[in-house]
Amino acid sequence: MSLEDPSRPELDIGETAEGVDYDALEALLGDHVVGRERHRNAEAFVVRPDEVQDALFLLRDEAGFDHCSCVTAQEYEDRYESIYHLRKYDDPTQEVGVVVPTATDDPVSESAEPVYRTADWHEREAYDLVGVDYDDHPQMERILLPETWQGHPLSLDYDQEQPQVVTFSEHANPLNEDQRAEADSDTMFVNIGPHHPATHGVLHLKTTLDGEQVADVESDIGYLHRCEEQICQNGTYRHQIMPYPDRWDYISAGILNEWAYARAAEDMADIDVPEYAQVIRTMSAELCRIASHMLALGTFALDVYGDFTAIFMYATRDREVVQNILEDLTGQRLMFNYLRLGGVAWDLPEPREEFFESIHDFLEDLPEKLEEYHDLVTSNEIFQMRCVDTGVLEPEIAKSYGATGPVARGSGIDYDLRRDDPYGYYDELDWDVITEEGCDNYARVLVRLQEVEESAKIIEQCVDLLAEWPEEDRTIQSNVPRTLKPDPDTEIYRSVEGAKGELGIYMRSDGTEKPARFKIRSPCFSNLQTLPEMSQGEYIPDLIASLGSLDIVLGEVDR
Amino acid sequence: MASTLPDTISSLFGLGGLVGDVVGSLVGAVLVGSLMLTMTALAGPWAKRKITAAFTDRIAVNRVGPFGLLIIVADAVRLLSKELIVPEDVDRPAWDLAPFVLASSALLGFAVIPMGNGIQLADPEVGLAYVFAVASIASVGLVMAGYASNNKFSLLGGLRAVAQNLAYEIPLVITAASVVIFAGTLQMSGIVEAQTAALGFGLKSWYAFVNPFAFLLFLVANLAEVGRNPFDTPEAPTEIVAGYQTEYSSVYFVLMYLGEFLHIFLGGAIIATVFLGGPTSPFVGVEILPGFLWFVVKIWAVFLFTQWMRSAIPRVRIDQLIEIGWKGMLVLSFANLVLTAVIVGVIA
Repeated sequence: MSLEDPSRPELDIGETAEGVDYDALEALLGDHVVGRERHRNAEAFVVRPDEVQDALFLLRDEAGFDHCSCVTAQEYEDRYESIYHLRKYDDPTQEVGVVVPTATDDPVSESAEPVYRTADWHEREAYDLVGVDYDDHPQMERILLPETWQGHPLSLDYDQEQPQVVTFSEHANPLNEDQRAEADSDTMFVNIGPHHPATHGVLHLKTTLDGEQVADVESDIGYLHRCEEQICQNGTYRHQIMPYPDRWDYISAGILNEWAYARAAEDMADIDVPEYAQVIRTMSAELCRIASHMLALGTFALDVYGDFTAIFMYATRDREVVQNILEDLTGQRLMFNYLRLGGVAWDLPEPREEFFESIHDFLEDLPEKLEEYHDLVTSNEIFQMRCVDTGVLEPEIAKSYGATGPVARGSGIDYDLRRDDPYGYYDELDWDVITEEGCDNYARVLVRLQEVEESAKIIEQCVDLLAEWPEEDRTIQSNVPRTLKPDPDTEIYRSVEGAKGELGIYMRSDGTEKPARFKIRSPCFSNLQTLPEMSQGEYIPDLIASLGSLDIVLGEVDR
Repeated sequence: MASTLPDTISSLFGLGGLVGDVVGSLVGAVLVGSLMLTMTALAGPWAKRKITAAFTDRIAVNRVGPFGLLIIVADAVRLLSKELIVPEDVDRPAWDLAPFVLASSALLGFAVIPMGNGIQLADPEVGLAYVFAVASIASVGLVMAGYASNNKFSLLGGLRAVAQNLAYEIPLVITAASVVIFAGTLQMSGIVEAQTAALGFGLKSWYAFVNPFAFLLFLVANLAEVGRNPFDTPEAPTEIVAGYQTEYSSVYFVLMYLGEFLHIFLGGAIIATVFLGGPTSPFVGVEILPGFLWFVVKIWAVFLFTQWMRSAIPRVRIDQLIEIGWKGMLVLSFANLVLTAVIVGVIA
């Protein structure tokens, strides 16, 4: 079957045929380990705050944990804690956590940025929201909130009532000084965004230009920060959290996001999902993926073609069909809120034949439409001139930034959680993971277009399964208690393959019906970090194209 | 050849001498100007909406009046009633003059275009050179707008516009020169006249048929000249916001927009005159429509072409654009010129 993991010749330290041998890893780390914890997804080693880099270097170089998936920070009554969730690009089921406790009065720990460059932004976010300080970090500043913000919103002693004054004068032109300093140089500073036609939302790129070429670019995010993590920490597991994932990546990827929460919460509380519901989930999630990739293609065409391009409208037209199907299924066009813990909200719409027919019609028309896109877009010579060998992202760099999804697969990284860390019904179906070796803007477009085909394959198989499903066996939800209270101090990091990449959620329970810590690992957040690598030295139009090819949604970057 | 429009008008009023010249020219200019403005300012934006919509699988305006025609009125009211925002530190009066330079430079060009049925304001012997000369005044307007706006995106747009105009004006003129070799005159009426001869298959010897290669070159260079895809880098809405017109609003924006449309139509008029036989039908001895209508149809055909390109073709990058201009178009246009000269020299 196509879902077999490509075999690797030699095993890393601590790797066995069954998974990770944590004792071997402990032996590898030696004195760095001061304790061990057991999380739901993996075991974790407690490391002293001044030995973080040593421990992580060992795990990366000796044990092969090359993917720093997420950095979670949280505050306990007696300490702060940073957790590095590590896994391998070759086999994401091999996970390990590195827990770094720091004192409440002086929460300083060593930065992981020299080991995993993705830790740069993750640690800045930890500093911004929780208040852990990282030593040896290149730029320890706030990332989501304004520089003038008082306090750290997710720390325990944060006063929600405290007025936050973000004065106009201080923010009239935060870049005035930069501009003056460069008065005598040859470069020009220009703000691309936060309101610019090509930033796909409210992103601010502080760009230094040398003529038309990009000398330096720095992303300024946080304009769309809506405290999603805090909202989820204030909601009950059972019902109040599920509507919010729809609002992270709001470009019709809703069900994929809901699944991230559903998977984490179900694994945390040992909830089974009926097979029938898994098939429906798989089908609806792939529909969302198609809708999302269509929009990615359309907006990328806008960036490369110009405002009046036909491709954008074509993509929107075809996405509309998917939206209609999803509307029939969920009753909603954007904020689906369709998944429930232990299943889905309701069964397929009646009459079922009509519903299946509409999906079949869509799948039947799809190859022709994709052919049209290939005619109009990928085989257009000017398009190739613009996209081939621009925005190059080498695989090694992509890995160190924790890039996932089509961005990683466009750089030849064979990493897809649907296959490598199977969930839902994916491992029962026949489909392929798409990778392209081009590493450029063009490769990323190709990956998305081909993934649409693969998603169509999955949907077709799901529809066949659903149509044949015996009537008495159609359980859409398992029995889940009305109030869900997972065991205290259960910790879990679980992720799914969202439209943009690895969408992970870390949760810690404290025995109540609400999570004590809810951390979202957004694929866009990590992917956006690669932008400077892709665009330095290239022209402004390439910068814009690279940004478009990353397919970020600011709602998910800022959360 | 029939006399020009001012002569016709002055003889209609029974005026002669200096008074007749002045009155005839003024009335004629007003007539032609209104005609072009009606096409560009009134029909243009509406037609653009409809055409783009057809290309992009939409319906476009259809609620305001029949076929949404009254949207023209609504648009006019909307645009004219908007606040004119003058950004801080703009370089006046350059900033105020730029829209006028852009719009008027294109209007000037129409003075020598023979539109059929005796509608031509003047017919100087250097007509073709005159058209290119006044059309390039627009570059000055673009620099003024780009530099005076005190905006970095405008500056980039202005620089791009000038670089682009330089790179494509030369191939444009050189290609037109190859036509001049055929026609043996720069006079617009002469060029039209030369295209009425029979070519064979019942067709007239339009230069588009005689030298399709030159026609193609001219068409492409013209796209760059009017700044439409694949050469719309000076505006490049997704890259540099709106280029040189970023800081313009209200009436000034209307003038900018109008200037752009006028340039597209002027480009169409030049192509119609130089390559498509001006105000005549393509068939020998068959004049189905009055000359003026033929002319209008041809202009709109070129307009349609620019909109088609805009909907379907990606924008090239600025360095690629300059490269295509200097390394490709220029060489090809010179090759075309030399080849034409040799052929004409051998045959004649």
